[in-house]
Amino acid sequence: MFGIRLARRERRIPGGQTLAIALGLVIALILGALLLAFTGHSPVEVYAEMFDSALGSRRGWSATLTRAVPLGLAGLAVAVAGSMGMWNIGAEGQIIAGAIGAAWVARLGPDLPGFALIPLMLIGSVIGGGFLALGPAWARSRLGVNEIITTLMLNEVAIRIVRFLVNGPWKDPEGNNFPVAPELPDQAALPILFERAHIGIIIAAVVVIGFGIWSARSKWGYELRIAGSSAQAAEYVGISLRTKVFTVLLLSGAIAGLAGGIELTGNSARIVEGVANGFGFAGIIVAALALMRPSGVAAVAVAFGAVQIGGEAIQTTGVPPSISNVLQALILFGALTAAVFTEYRFVRPSRSNASVEVATA
Amino acid sequence: MNAATMMGLLISVIEFGTLLYLAALGETIAERAGVLNLGVEGMMAMGGMTAFWVGVETGNPWAALLAAIVVGGLFAMIHGIVSVVLGADQVVSGLALTIFGLGLSAFLGRDLIVERPNAVFEPVNLGPLSDIPFAGETIFSMTAVSWIAIFCGIATRFIFTRTRAGLALRAVGESAATADAAGQSVVKIRLIAVAIGGFFAGASGAFLTIVLAPGWTEGTTAGRGWIAVALVIFGAWKPGRVLVGSLLFGGLIALEPRLQTFGVEISPILISMLPFLLTIVVLVLFSIRSRNRPSVAPAAIGLAYRREER
Repeated sequence: MFGIRLARRERRIPGGQTLAIALGLVIALILGALLLAFTGHSPVEVYAEMFDSALGSRRGWSATLTRAVPLGLAGLAVAVAGSMGMWNIGAEGQIIAGAIGAAWVARLGPDLPGFALIPLMLIGSVIGGGFLALGPAWARSRLGVNEIITTLMLNEVAIRIVRFLVNGPWKDPEGNNFPVAPELPDQAALPILFERAHIGIIIAAVVVIGFGIWSARSKWGYELRIAGSSAQAAEYVGISLRTKVFTVLLLSGAIAGLAGGIELTGNSARIVEGVANGFGFAGIIVAALALMRPSGVAAVAVAFGAVQIGGEAIQTTGVPPSISNVLQALILFGALTAAVFTEYRFVRPSRSNASVEVATA
Repeated sequence: MNAATMMGLLISVIEFGTLLYLAALGETIAERAGVLNLGVEGMMAMGGMTAFWVGVETGNPWAALLAAIVVGGLFAMIHGIVSVVLGADQVVSGLALTIFGLGLSAFLGRDLIVERPNAVFEPVNLGPLSDIPFAGETIFSMTAVSWIAIFCGIATRFIFTRTRAGLALRAVGESAATADAAGQSVVKIRLIAVAIGGFFAGASGAFLTIVLAPGWTEGTTAGRGWIAVALVIFGAWKPGRVLVGSLLFGGLIALEPRLQTFGVEISPILISMLPFLLTIVVLVLFSIRSRNRPSVAPAAIGLAYRREER
């Protein structure tokens, strides 16, 4: 194509993925600017306003970091499965299941003091998320059923379960007939750090960074990487793939569930249908951009948190908030495209066999 | 249950069946060529927004449908370029396409919410057939889009099983390296299949905003794109079985608002989970069945193909 061929670099450019993400961001901002200009908005003003709302003040940072919590935990959930070559597409549903689990605990013990209720709710959320991943984990490890489809299908099931709950058994009798559950008890709210930021930020940071360190240093994490790179090698050295697949998918669901629990206790007074708010899907993009590395997940989650908060803040100026979804997707497409050039280099066509043709369409 | 209720139900089954079948047939074609496209929901939303917009502007349903098909195809090509040409992961690229399509359609279509529908597909007049009691007012009063969907299904089956092009497409989806060695252009065939998938998803979106529920609001696709993805598996990647599945799942959607009329005490929300749960059951059955037989799914699905890594 165009008389140019791509050849694989002998080694990747160091820091190539960071470069690719940066390029992706530039591409997204340029395309987004065209879209804004085309629809009669000033790109410079909109971007300045977005940046200012998300990162220009203490309040902005508190919102951005708070938003990075569900994105980072969902990203970690996807990354845990991804480091073994599996896709947990069900983080969205597992976040919902986690929120349901946490809300259930609050319904069972509404009079417990906060220091007991909050941890129990978070445990409930971990169990809820893990529970939704149980079926896919079992089917994949025992029968080899593709986890992409089963987790994807369960998203839609979870959305309908929460819809059923807030329209039926859990519907707030004093909710003016809105499909919402009753408000949680006051002591169920996570303590605030500063402005809008709650301690969920610390919990998420500990989980994401802690998992990164633990998986890098422990035997468990080492086995995980072996199993991810070669199933045969894993079996040869005596790692039980079945157990590994099962526990990894279950852990992945539990981490996503925790995101739902923190979202519920930290940011919303009650459970509503949109509790997962697309965080699970965004988490997949976060994990993909971070190349399934926990440290990268944390950084990308903060960046995506800023894009989302900025997008929501500019609503008041008449720009549809969906611009943040557009930008997030464009960052990914841009970075995926840019990543090709960190792995490959252009070569002029020659008769030598050294350059192997890659894309000839 | 009287005749009018029955008639209303049957019309609704046909309409939801058409909506699902268009999107699922397109996804079947892409997946048979080895490309999983999880962007169906986003392509549908873009197609639906475009169709309603063009319909409002022109008053011509065919122009609306055509515009949606073109936009669906263009959107699919993003996935095609990223995952087929550049070889990025199909799962990530497809999901990003859904997020992109939902976001962009909401962004561009915001002012369309207040518009009134202007383009209408009339039922196709089949002469004497349209005069048959009951059938004439249900099956034989379908819009042209439903007839086109059925025709495309039959044509796809024929192309898959009886033509060289269909054989090449299936070969690429089963083993890209083998097809490449046999002289087929893997990238070209996959790109075409992905584009066709986008055409159909766009058409499905147009059917939604022009025929089924005229109008445009954010979130109007309501997860139907995911049902289409489920249907491809439920129908074992076969155009005929996917049609049966579309009518079944379309039937379930059509039943939801009518359950109370029929005296059923189950919440319609619980019924709406069935397509997804049934698909999981079918997938598990496929896995058990394929233990000592070849897999039901196209073998190369989800795998990027780079010639140097053959």
